[in-house]
Amino acid sequence: MSEPMARRRILVDYRIRASKCTECGRTYFPPKSFCNVEGRGSRMSPVDYANSKGMLVSGSVIRKPTNKFLHLGSYISGIVSFNDGGVKVPGRITDLVPPDGEVDVTEFMGKGVIPRFRRLYSDGSDGLIYYSSLNFSFEDDYFPYLEYKKVKPPETTTRPGIVGYGVYLPKFRIKNEGEALGVKERTVPFADENSATFAVEAGRMALIHAGIDGMSVKKCFVGSESPPYAVKPTMSTVSQALLLGEEYEGGFFSGGIDSEFACKAAADLFIDAAALVAYPTFSGEHVLVIGSDNSQAERNDPLDYTVGAGAAAFLFGRRDVIATLDHYVAYTSDTPDFYRREGQRYPRHGGRFTGEPAYFKHVVTAMKAALKVSGLSPKDIRYVVCHSPNAKFPMQAAIEAGFEAEQVEPGLIVKYIGNLYSGSSPASLAAVLDIAEPGDKIMMTSYGSGAGSDSYVFTVTKEIEKKRERSVPVRQMIENERRAYVDYNTYREWKELG
Amino acid sequence: MPISNKVEPYAAIIGAGRSSFGEQWYKDPEKLVMEAGIRAMESVDSGLRRRDIQACYLGSFLYQATNKLSLLPGYMSRELGINIPMSTTEAACASGGSAFYNACMAIKSGKYDVVLVGGFEKMTDRVSKIVDDLMFAADPHEFDAGFTFAGLYATMMARYIHDYGQGQSRCIEALAQIACKNHHHAIDNEYAQYRREISVDDVLKSQPIADPIRLLHCSPISDGAAAVLLTKPDLAKKYTDTPVYVTGSQQATDDVSLFTRASLTGIKATRLAVGMALKETGLSMEDIQIAEVHDCFTVEEALFLEDSGFYEVGKAWEGIYESYESNKGSKHIPYVKDGASLIVNAGGGLKADGHPVGATGVRQIYECFKQLRKEAGKNQVEIDGDLNLALTHNIGGTGGIAVVHILARDVA
Repeated sequence: MSEPMARRRILVDYRIRASKCTECGRTYFPPKSFCNVEGRGSRMSPVDYANSKGMLVSGSVIRKPTNKFLHLGSYISGIVSFNDGGVKVPGRITDLVPPDGEVDVTEFMGKGVIPRFRRLYSDGSDGLIYYSSLNFSFEDDYFPYLEYKKVKPPETTTRPGIVGYGVYLPKFRIKNEGEALGVKERTVPFADENSATFAVEAGRMALIHAGIDGMSVKKCFVGSESPPYAVKPTMSTVSQALLLGEEYEGGFFSGGIDSEFACKAAADLFIDAAALVAYPTFSGEHVLVIGSDNSQAERNDPLDYTVGAGAAAFLFGRRDVIATLDHYVAYTSDTPDFYRREGQRYPRHGGRFTGEPAYFKHVVTAMKAALKVSGLSPKDIRYVVCHSPNAKFPMQAAIEAGFEAEQVEPGLIVKYIGNLYSGSSPASLAAVLDIAEPGDKIMMTSYGSGAGSDSYVFTVTKEIEKKRERSVPVRQMIENERRAYVDYNTYREWKELG
Repeated sequence: MPISNKVEPYAAIIGAGRSSFGEQWYKDPEKLVMEAGIRAMESVDSGLRRRDIQACYLGSFLYQATNKLSLLPGYMSRELGINIPMSTTEAACASGGSAFYNACMAIKSGKYDVVLVGGFEKMTDRVSKIVDDLMFAADPHEFDAGFTFAGLYATMMARYIHDYGQGQSRCIEALAQIACKNHHHAIDNEYAQYRREISVDDVLKSQPIADPIRLLHCSPISDGAAAVLLTKPDLAKKYTDTPVYVTGSQQATDDVSLFTRASLTGIKATRLAVGMALKETGLSMEDIQIAEVHDCFTVEEALFLEDSGFYEVGKAWEGIYESYESNKGSKHIPYVKDGASLIVNAGGGLKADGHPVGATGVRQIYECFKQLRKEAGKNQVEIDGDLNLALTHNIGGTGGIAVVHILARDVA
């Protein structure tokens, strides 16, 4: 492909955009400018299937792929129908490694499939990376189908806060054999995933959870330290894939930016998001903040036994708020504990120096400061979550700040998913929001190497309960029976592809 | 059966030639097609001079991507040493058939007396990317879904097995028997790429390519060329006593993309083109004695037998199975039904003769020309009665185009 070809395909493939005849309803993919039946005078309207459930009509296990797909080994490609066969599209089944022996494809016919935003291939290591939503996972596989229902929010506004969230954890896992600072197993990206695909999927889940139209999201921040491009925002990919802002001639009236501050690139912007939605001349209702990482670590580095992969997305607004953002403190210093120079593939770290003078100093200082400015005591907080490079650091930091282990334990999902870098503290926040009750106060403290911490205090509202049916709890993903384990070499291979 | 005297042939074939199909490492594409062209000229009984050729129609698919060639007319002008009008047709695997179709229209128009039709493909020049290149004949969305060409046909085959075979092993065996039959037919074809017998077991245990398609369900990667010479029907006897007349010449198109078509178990373009060709010749499929069918993957031959109406929709596999089992010992294994008999791919088809993509459509004409003139040597089809009617079926992509010709040696 080329840049202009890619742009044309993006307009169709990110949304699975078809055109529908306004007279007879016949639908065409790829979209056509007129209906074959109604003639050239017919009017066509766009219709998207990226959030719809489809059905596999037929397919094949591709054993000898084209060169562009060699990195996937064997996989199923097939034809998917939407709308009871009203429109059909080609697609690849993702998150599935077919067995070596012959597969009876007829067994898959008629199965429900869900579109997934995934990477197709790239033009070498220095060319464009191509994505599409024409990839599907089976409905009865790891990811359930979540219907995207838009709910009209109440007219009244409250203090800004979280209106919805979504956590995306890949299906695949690797088990740690050794101690690895309390990290038992970790999430592993499939061979077609990276931090951009995680961000889109988490953002989609946040929109579904909040029940809002992406059109009202006028700002999107994506924090990551593993962006697929050194220069080219992930944020614009997310906006295009999720239709953030009002659509106009293939673009969107919305803005945003990618951010980088090691593992706090997203968490830092929670306050900015909350502030924006309250700002009188901000034209949008909502701001989306996503922390997404295919957490980087060099082979056999100590980090290589704690890193995970995934994303957490939070939508901020002033109506239908499920947790108000009540207090905020940030603490920063130039502490060179962990860094990656431009052009280098993996980060370096200062070993034990990343502990006491870096992580603990910033996290504990921010937590104590947040308690002070809020006037709260540790006992007033129901749950405490911290950036989790491993399972020991957040527990030790919280205890040092005056909290009890039981306040920390529910958010210690790092044991099962590994360190999500930019997604770490946000995903932990999501895990406790999954179980929090109205009135609960939650303290979330980020940490980004280099170095700084943000400490937030949220208060959960009664709105949280009615939205729960629209989300997949983090624990459910962690314990999902369809999660699949891979060996170390597969983990490395897939991670490095992303 | 003679053709009705109401049917005016489009053109008459007066000569045909071809190269061997297979790996032709040492021949440039234009040399390959010239080899076929020269043989075609030399095959004209009363002789034909280069300067008798007034136009040239060429079919090829991947010459730009694979061979890094363009402006084929310029190459052919240089090779032939003449400066006549020439044009190239690209219609994926139907490039050769489409070139022949255009040539028939040119003769029928009255503009030319003699035209040369060539088809070639040189696929082994870039074998490492040929699987990718072949996907030029599909919608880019199909490429991006990870499909290969085998995968697209496997998607049809899987649905066929599901809808019509209902998982029965005889259906799966029938789709393997097609390969065995075509290999058997190629044994005495001196130009064929594979001149060896294979068994159903060989097919079903061969390397998986795109489940349910295995290696031996597939036509091969081939280099090769074929050429034929056409003239006006009323001039034909000037060149030979036994011209072969093109009595039906039809082409139909459909969506390039398999996924947008209504059916995965039939090719609409085939149905349309065969239907029109039979109609214009006043024939039915039962009248056709031999057919060169586009068996790029074995399932396509089964689909043809249904799309053409020879077997009922959903029943071809039963006919194939029964025909193969009851005619195993024959030199050519016909498809039979209610007294009708049809020999398909007498020279081995794409499967065993080889499938140099752009050459195939012209090679099919070559095969029928030789068979109808009883010049097929050891591979000559022998049937009860006179062999007079042949049909060729050349499709592009997964059915984006179908070109069908009906040939007759004797016209009333």
